[in-house]
Amino acid sequence: MSRAQHSASRRRRRPARYMSSRLLTGSALAVFVVFFVLPVLWLVLAATKTDQQLVHDSPLSFGSWHALKANWDALTAFQDNAIMLWLRNSALYAVVSLVITLCVSVPAGYALAMTEFRGRRTLLIATLVVMLMPNATLVVPLFLEINAVHLIGTMWSIILPYSFYPFGVYLTYIYFTTAVPKDLLAAARMDGCSEFGVFRLVALPLATPVIALVGFFSFVANWTNYFLPYVMLPESDQMPVQVGVGTLLSSVPSFNPTVGSLAIERPQLALATLVAITPVLIVFLFAQRFLVSGMLAGATKE
Amino acid sequence: MPVNKPSFSQERVLNRRRPALLAGCAAMVVLTVAGCGSGGGTGTTAKDGFTQVPQKDGALTVWVDATRLEAAKLYQKLHPDVKLDIVTYDGNANGSNYLQTKVQLFNRTGKGWPDVVFSSQNNEVTWAVDAGFAAPLNKGLIPEATLGQFANGANDVCTVNGTLYCLRNDLSQVVLWYNAPLMKKFGYTVPTTWEEYQRLGEKVAKEHPAYLVGDAGDSFTPEIYLWASKCGANDITGPKAVSVNTTSEACTKMAKLMDVLIKNKSMSISGVFSTDFAKAKADKVLLMPGPAWYGGAVFKSTLKTPAQQIAAAPIPQWKGDTAPSTGNVGGGTWLLSQHSAHIKAATDFLKWVTTDNAYQGEKAPGFPAHAPAAENWLKAQGSSGYFAGDLGALKDASSQVWPGWGSGQFSQEAIWAATVKPGMTQGKTIASLLPAWQDTIVKYAESNGYKVSQ
Amino acid sequence: MTLTRSLSGSAHRRRRGAGRQSRAGVAFVATYVLLLIAFGILPTGYAVYFAFTDAGGTFTGFSNFVTTARDFRFMDAVGHVAVYLVFWLVSLVVFVVGLALLLHRVASGTVSKALRFFYYIPGALAGAASVLVWLFMLDPTVSPVSSLLGTLGFDTFGEVVAPGNLALLFAIIAFWTGAGGWIVVMYGALNNIPKDVMEAAHIDGAGAWQTAWHVQIPMLRKWIVYMVILAFAGGAQLFVEPQLLALASVGVAGRDYSLNQLTYDFAFQMNNINGAAAVSVELLVVSVSAAALFVARSGFFDAD
Repeated sequence: MSRAQHSASRRRRRPARYMSSRLLTGSALAVFVVFFVLPVLWLVLAATKTDQQLVHDSPLSFGSWHALKANWDALTAFQDNAIMLWLRNSALYAVVSLVITLCVSVPAGYALAMTEFRGRRTLLIATLVVMLMPNATLVVPLFLEINAVHLIGTMWSIILPYSFYPFGVYLTYIYFTTAVPKDLLAAARMDGCSEFGVFRLVALPLATPVIALVGFFSFVANWTNYFLPYVMLPESDQMPVQVGVGTLLSSVPSFNPTVGSLAIERPQLALATLVAITPVLIVFLFAQRFLVSGMLAGATKE
Repeated sequence: MPVNKPSFSQERVLNRRRPALLAGCAAMVVLTVAGCGSGGGTGTTAKDGFTQVPQKDGALTVWVDATRLEAAKLYQKLHPDVKLDIVTYDGNANGSNYLQTKVQLFNRTGKGWPDVVFSSQNNEVTWAVDAGFAAPLNKGLIPEATLGQFANGANDVCTVNGTLYCLRNDLSQVVLWYNAPLMKKFGYTVPTTWEEYQRLGEKVAKEHPAYLVGDAGDSFTPEIYLWASKCGANDITGPKAVSVNTTSEACTKMAKLMDVLIKNKSMSISGVFSTDFAKAKADKVLLMPGPAWYGGAVFKSTLKTPAQQIAAAPIPQWKGDTAPSTGNVGGGTWLLSQHSAHIKAATDFLKWVTTDNAYQGEKAPGFPAHAPAAENWLKAQGSSGYFAGDLGALKDASSQVWPGWGSGQFSQEAIWAATVKPGMTQGKTIASLLPAWQDTIVKYAESNGYKVSQ
Repeated sequence: MTLTRSLSGSAHRRRRGAGRQSRAGVAFVATYVLLLIAFGILPTGYAVYFAFTDAGGTFTGFSNFVTTARDFRFMDAVGHVAVYLVFWLVSLVVFVVGLALLLHRVASGTVSKALRFFYYIPGALAGAASVLVWLFMLDPTVSPVSSLLGTLGFDTFGEVVAPGNLALLFAIIAFWTGAGGWIVVMYGALNNIPKDVMEAAHIDGAGAWQTAWHVQIPMLRKWIVYMVILAFAGGAQLFVEPQLLALASVGVAGRDYSLNQLTYDFAFQMNNINGAAAVSVELLVVSVSAAALFVARSGFFDAD
């Protein structure tokens, strides 16, 4: 077989193989879309039903706009619109901690990856070890510490612990070690940049994807944290929305039979859940724009 | 270098953001946290059976669950001069241990305790006394005359070595709920003995299959049937002592009765709050032994049974039994903190919330533990027009709860749910599961530091 | 002459540069170190102290470890967690890396973006928020996938949450919530692989499978190691999923299932923070050993 023939036959075979592999890829991706989205779709539809419909109607049917409105009214009536207060608290805690986290983690991850200093390895190990500690037993020491500096009852009692975000430091660390060539920084130093200048002018612009990633994960971690505010905050009007949803859950008779008659119904709980996750999804969409944008197009690493 | 240059638009975005970010970071660095000293007070006095801290003016902190929030708000409305700080929490539902966790932390830091707390559990004194949190109530704070008005045995769960450490909010005595028009239509009479009850169940299975005389699928099933049958599975004999015997005749004969009815399907094993029950069995309830709160929470809210159908009768008794006995499923309690600096205000609130007609007699969702309030409550329920006939059976049952079943620190409901329920789902009989049940109770009790006699 | 001078000069510059770099490095990590000490090292140290003392603060050696290991639920919990870890780690590594690679082959940016969003959505549903979802998903009476459950032989909720199925169920729930975030991370890392490396592989005639195996996965090494370390620790600390199912099933399944649940039980139900700390320290030791193994074998800490 001549070379030309060979390549021609390869070209002929290719579309068929290409198509079947695309089909396989597509169906694998689609199966997982169903796996991830179906329960959420159910939840969205659940919020449009009455409690009766939730049990008796087909699981993936739409209830009615009227029922949705009624659920919304019942949800906002719970403790005089407590849900809005919870959302506001969550936003406050999550955003303030997010800002501190970014200010702290990005330089730290950068320094761990791109500079040599004494104690670098120790710091990496210490960070990893505290990340692996189960948190049930950390609550008591944290509470005592926060109490020792008289911050119990203030928002700082949860914002400060939230701001410590070792996961973000590691994300930045790995990002810089794998994606940013050291030569680049060396070149900037040669040009007379100060160390801070190197960070600000060279590293930071390249770090957009990881800033977006750390910011996003930190926001989500803060937003969805349940146990720390649950234990730390003394007043119910300080509660974030996760603890609020927990309260709603314990007001649903199926989960807490002793609750009595002033109960929240399951579709209202579904609606509260949707309201609670919406900000996370919006932030995700926003962050996703930056995740891919600052990539090092064509940069060589080796 | 040029290849790596970020695109122009990104550069601009970054430039716009960078100063803001830097300013934000600077602000954080500047931010310092000012501490404020707290003067440690001395001068405690021993009064009312415990050491009281110096009393001060200031807001009374009250912790309630979402349902009891109404009570606290009503109190505030009727007593506008009292400064009240109302905090809602989950009421320790589902064994969340919230109150216990918080009190442990407050004990370490020496401050932060609420003055008065509602809990939806009735086993709080098992830890709250040792933790030095619950204040004794019958040593001067609440007059004997008031305490005497609570239903017989209602405050047993609050008593440790003769001292009362909490007040019962509501009772959950078990009665026999039934669908009056349906019983009439089928031509049945309400059974008064367990023997009659079993015969009726067998008859229903034949004549009207799919209809139910009871449900055995909940975690609190043993508290309905086995407690009423005087089964000694959970006899709390001292603060840290329990006697467990699940294979006595009182237990086995009830277990066998249930097995017969489960087998012929006149007794469900799905649980009244399960979707299965709501979907397939909601309109098939003929009879249903269950606690006082079934009237509102199950029939009215969950199963949406129409008005004028549900009525209550006394729980059946074993033939030849002279003293009527019944079970109990839950019921909340109120605790007062030893650390309170507003004991007078706290006591006033506690008395009001457990006894006053304005709340307990009219608004409370559960059957009040305070007997005079309960009278009023029954009238209010009667005039609501939901039930067919009066709820007098509840009143009689309120003082007939068998005292041989206590409230330990470990959860009997959790044990039943995890040990017996899966076996029932696999088709095993309850009678055959009794030894395993006993075994698990003993293990949990010992693990919680109880001395167990079998 | 010129050559040597320039060489020594650059060496000199490098030394001076190293000193400058080192000082700058310290400055960059300073605030982080403060937070690390306050909210990481101090509490962890405190917990370790708890593990070796009693409630009064007296040193007790290993007695907390012995007492907790004797609890009748302890060995069961160890077994449960071990089985769960197998399901969880395998599913996470295989599917997350696989899906990220597949996503990376999707040509359309919009489709890929949308898919990542769909995969991520459950990640927002944490804790109490997803109790309702799983109660209804797993209950054949009302589940949208009841026909699937029926095919598998499950007709009631009780049968679905039978003890033998729990490890798999928890892995599915954990994967459902946790995978999306990792897929996003892996996808971002794949995008960071320089184009010329990919092109070189293509020119060499490597197929998609070979490129993935010989080029992409090795370049994801650090990310995968990081994921495995965290997933191992997270899996060993299994807590949310069984707790969630315990709520949904009103206690029938999932209570006292994992070691971490036992620590909560010790700490807050039995008022034995010292016992809880002992179990936590055991979990920490296991996780750190596993992490050390991965770190040592992968050159994870190497700065280049």
